[in-house]
Amino acid sequence: MFNKGNNWLFALMSALILISANPSSAQDGEALFNSKCATCHQPHKDMTGPKLYEVRQKWEEGGAKEGSIYQWVKNFQVAKANDPYANEVSAWSPTSMTIFADLNNEQIDAIFDYVDAQPLSSEGGGGEQVASTGGSGQKEETSLGWIWYVLAGIFIVIILSVGGVRRQLSNIDSDEEYQKTYADEIRTWMFRNRKSVGVGVLVIVLAIIVGVLLQLGQIGVLSAYQPSQPIQFPHDIHAGENDIDCKYCHNSADKSKTAGIPTVNVCMNCHKQIQGNETQAEQIAKIYEAAGFSPEGGGQYSGETENLVWNKVHVLPDHVYFNHSQHVVVGGIDCKQCHGDMTKQNELPRVVPVEELNEIDGNIQLTKPTLTMGWCIECHGEKEIANGPVEGKGGYYDEIHKRLLENDKSLYQDYLEDGKVTVKELGGWECAKCHY
Amino acid sequence: MKKRFKAISQLVAVFATGLITLSSCISDPDSSGLEYTPDMYRSPAVEPYVDYGQVRNEINDSLKVLQSSLRPPHETIPYFGTDAEYVSMMLPYHRKASSAANVSHGLYEKEGWMLSDSLNTEYEKAKADKNPIELTEANSEEIFKEGKRIYSSKCQHCHGEKGDGQGQMMVNGTYVGVPDYKNLQDLGDGQIFYSIYYGKGAMGAHSMLINKKEIWTLVHYVNKFRFDDYGNFDVEEAPVADSLNTNEEVSDSLESAQ
Repeated sequence: MFNKGNNWLFALMSALILISANPSSAQDGEALFNSKCATCHQPHKDMTGPKLYEVRQKWEEGGAKEGSIYQWVKNFQVAKANDPYANEVSAWSPTSMTIFADLNNEQIDAIFDYVDAQPLSSEGGGGEQVASTGGSGQKEETSLGWIWYVLAGIFIVIILSVGGVRRQLSNIDSDEEYQKTYADEIRTWMFRNRKSVGVGVLVIVLAIIVGVLLQLGQIGVLSAYQPSQPIQFPHDIHAGENDIDCKYCHNSADKSKTAGIPTVNVCMNCHKQIQGNETQAEQIAKIYEAAGFSPEGGGQYSGETENLVWNKVHVLPDHVYFNHSQHVVVGGIDCKQCHGDMTKQNELPRVVPVEELNEIDGNIQLTKPTLTMGWCIECHGEKEIANGPVEGKGGYYDEIHKRLLENDKSLYQDYLEDGKVTVKELGGWECAKCHY
Repeated sequence: MKKRFKAISQLVAVFATGLITLSSCISDPDSSGLEYTPDMYRSPAVEPYVDYGQVRNEINDSLKVLQSSLRPPHETIPYFGTDAEYVSMMLPYHRKASSAANVSHGLYEKEGWMLSDSLNTEYEKAKADKNPIELTEANSEEIFKEGKRIYSSKCQHCHGEKGDGQGQMMVNGTYVGVPDYKNLQDLGDGQIFYSIYYGKGAMGAHSMLINKKEIWTLVHYVNKFRFDDYGNFDVEEAPVADSLNTNEEVSDSLESAQ
């Protein structure tokens, strides 16, 4: 009876131990790896530190002393002093391993067990799932355009050759010495139909005049202007899929006149690790070249940097002053009011036409072409600043609001009739606000 | 008759080539198009990202864009006003970068970075650095609000809205290895500042994106993720200062180990 009970108890205990032992150490390994190692090490990829997959075997094969890998994890300097192989390993990167004096051998083994159990396929490359969809539509359009040109060329050749055959036939027919040229034929034809030819010429001349005038009106209008760039930068992957705030890269938008084009060191904050898939790697290699960075062996900077020269998209003439921080901080205007929804822009950035801006939720509806003066002052006339983001923060605008509301109201009757205070009513239409 | 036709056709040909050349100028995809009055469109001074390479009214192609991306002269600092406390906070950081920061983070001395002689001593010393922005009951709400504003644009995509290292980039699997702030209990405020300023491990230096005041504000905000009761003034005394002082012994022992 007693014996039986003891056996049962023993079996139960051993079963419990068996069940609990393995998963718990694996879990420990995962938790420890994530909290201690993962910031610098990956199972299958060199990062700040080398990859850890089957690192124990690697050390053994490399001729490391037994147990020196544990010493390395606990305090790399002790291991470096004791083991020549550890000393060799420490030269892998100029940065040093962190000291983990609080880990014991079992925990270190648990971490390595967890790492060795990681399948190779889980290698994080970043953004592989993203298929580049942009570009194909545009290509089709341009190739269709060429077909029209080719067709037109063929027709012209056919018409000319048929005409030539006809003319030669008539020349043979008439038997005259003087051979008629195209010009003679055209002149006689024009004289015969002089009324309709006159009307036609008039229409063409008028059309040319109107066209030239319209073209003159388009000078300086940058709608849909999309210059080439040194790198095919996809905004949708960065700001859309990966949810990076616009102001991370364009970081002076809330501090300065310009929003700022990020320098390569800002790109490198992420791309030190993210090397992209095949199509992306080609573009990312340009960043590495400019930053003087080589991704091999955890990545090293050479210090030999190059300039990346981007083309400015939103070109404003010198005679108009525009300040980003004024609009972003004081006006509280969202980037998409003027720049459109960049989280979906796969192609290169461009000046977004006003029709597309109007389709975006929450945008003030405007009619004039983007980046023209009409567009600016239209918005200044619409945008309310009462109850805006600056109210209650004190200072300049509160003072103006107070004066508007407390002084002789008859002066501002026109303004306050509709119950809202717009930028225009605080002087946003004064010439010298932007032109000085 | 034939002669006249030839003359006319020649004229037409010349006109057409002229038009085509002109239109090709306008249709250059990189050109922003014609301007009515270039002298009013183009700034004689070099503006950010706009530099026509204009020197004394002559356009010098080899100078184009080069002048708009120059660094300020070595060891110049911006003007920070006359508030002594603020100015002292904004003065250049007194701690030097790690001796390997040039190779690991691209911070080269020729570009104005100060490198120390050793890998980690400056970082360990930074443990004792105090946050010059003191968190009080009165300013805590404002500091955390400002911290959230900076955090959401500069940190959140990797470190996550809750500071658990689960930002959108991590969720997508684009980036790996961002720690949960909860696991970083034994760091001093100064070390967090140092890591943001000069970068650490895979993270790059962020001192070009945010100034010292903003980084110290972020340190308060990040501490809120690390300690549950950080900035909670309802409990008798805030454990802010305590968590710092206890770390001094540890940093001393680490320094002697080096």
